[in-house]
Amino acid sequence: MYSRGRWCDFTKYFELKKNNSMECVVQGIIETQHVEALEILLQGLCGVQRERLRVHELCLKSGPSLGNVSSEVRLLCDLDQPEPTWTVKHVGGAMRGPGADQISVMVRAMVESKVSKNALRMFNALGYKLDHELLKVGFAFHFQRTANISVSVSSVNKMPKVHAIDEAVPVTPGMQIVDVTAPATPVNYSEVAAAVSSFCEFLAPLVHLSKPFISTGVVPTAAAAAASLMSDGGGTAL
Amino acid sequence: MPVKWVLHWQPNQGSTVSSQILNEATQCVESINGVKEGRWKATLNYYKPLLRDQTNQAEFPRDFLGISLADQPNKYYFIIRSQRIVVEADSSIQLIMERLQSYKSKVALYFEGFQYQLGDFRLRVGKVVPTHSENVRGIVMEVEYLPISSMEKSRKVMEEFLEIWHEALSKRSLPGKFVNIDLNFGEFGLGDNYTPQHTAVRYALVMAHMIATVQAVRG
Repeated sequence: MYSRGRWCDFTKYFELKKNNSMECVVQGIIETQHVEALEILLQGLCGVQRERLRVHELCLKSGPSLGNVSSEVRLLCDLDQPEPTWTVKHVGGAMRGPGADQISVMVRAMVESKVSKNALRMFNALGYKLDHELLKVGFAFHFQRTANISVSVSSVNKMPKVHAIDEAVPVTPGMQIVDVTAPATPVNYSEVAAAVSSFCEFLAPLVHLSKPFISTGVVPTAAAAAASLMSDGGGTAL
Repeated sequence: MPVKWVLHWQPNQGSTVSSQILNEATQCVESINGVKEGRWKATLNYYKPLLRDQTNQAEFPRDFLGISLADQPNKYYFIIRSQRIVVEADSSIQLIMERLQSYKSKVALYFEGFQYQLGDFRLRVGKVVPTHSENVRGIVMEVEYLPISSMEKSRKVMEEFLEIWHEALSKRSLPGKFVNIDLNFGEFGLGDNYTPQHTAVRYALVMAHMIATVQAVRG
């Protein structure tokens, strides 16, 4: 029914992302006790190997006199690589209006670039200061299902001191965040949104995914669904 | 990647740079059996902060520049020379800078000319022009030694090549010379193994010297 493709590696994923200037995104929350079941479900749906996720995310904001409007940029440091690799990401405004209301995923401007390790020093020198930082720890699947979709499941951790990654503690113990994103362009975003939306339906028994900042809480029947997945390794249709 | 030196034309006191000098330099390369391979182009942007309050200007770097290199079409390089910062990014970083609306490119320059193969060397000679003008502001020359990527190991052979080059060029009695500027790449966090970031830093230094030369002439 859907074409399943396997991405060779994360490098190819970034190559695709850099040519797109938008993304479709949905988010949800899941209790940590059900994450293993979600992983089994995702493994069966995606048909690719899961990848570990350990990303230090630094959100920088422009100082008070810089720019006609204040601006934000995110630096992402992938700590799971032998040598940490950096990405800079700019998230713009989400689509609004009646057209956007009819789409169940958020469509927003987004541009990413790989960047060398001096990026934080550079942005500091340009007048950007650290606003907040997080450590996301979990796993992700990157696969193709009409669109190039990424699903990540991670605990979000805060640091008691600046850059103290080793001392990070969960923001919401017992809960993890599920992010589903797909790069898009002004030409194909509705097709990508439909692909993401369609995929999310398969995850509905365990996690309800919606536009970010519009939380719908956990799925009340997740426990039963998880039990079913764990008992037969995901072979039973939900 | 191969080691590269970036030289710039330093006119004698009282003389200026012109297309004629570029033509002479190009002919000189051909006279020592350089084989023309095609054109090359690099682009440099000087960024200025957009400030709500101009009195705070001193807080922000005055030498923030970005460069795209002929060898690396999918990359973009930022340099803040005064703070010894060099960053390599994907070309999409330019779109990010546009969307941040905190810095704007105020001056853009092209480096463009011809590329030559000369034994184990690749040479690029080019003029420096503003993007909307044909007014030659400078001349640069890239000298790349293809077999070696260690800067220390290549130093001697590069110096020997430059002696040959200076001798060939001196027969044309031009009012100036090509100059190579040595710098401490370690201050930028760069090592002995040559990378495009080294080239970006070299170009930033060449621009600083060219500007200083112009200001000295005007002074």
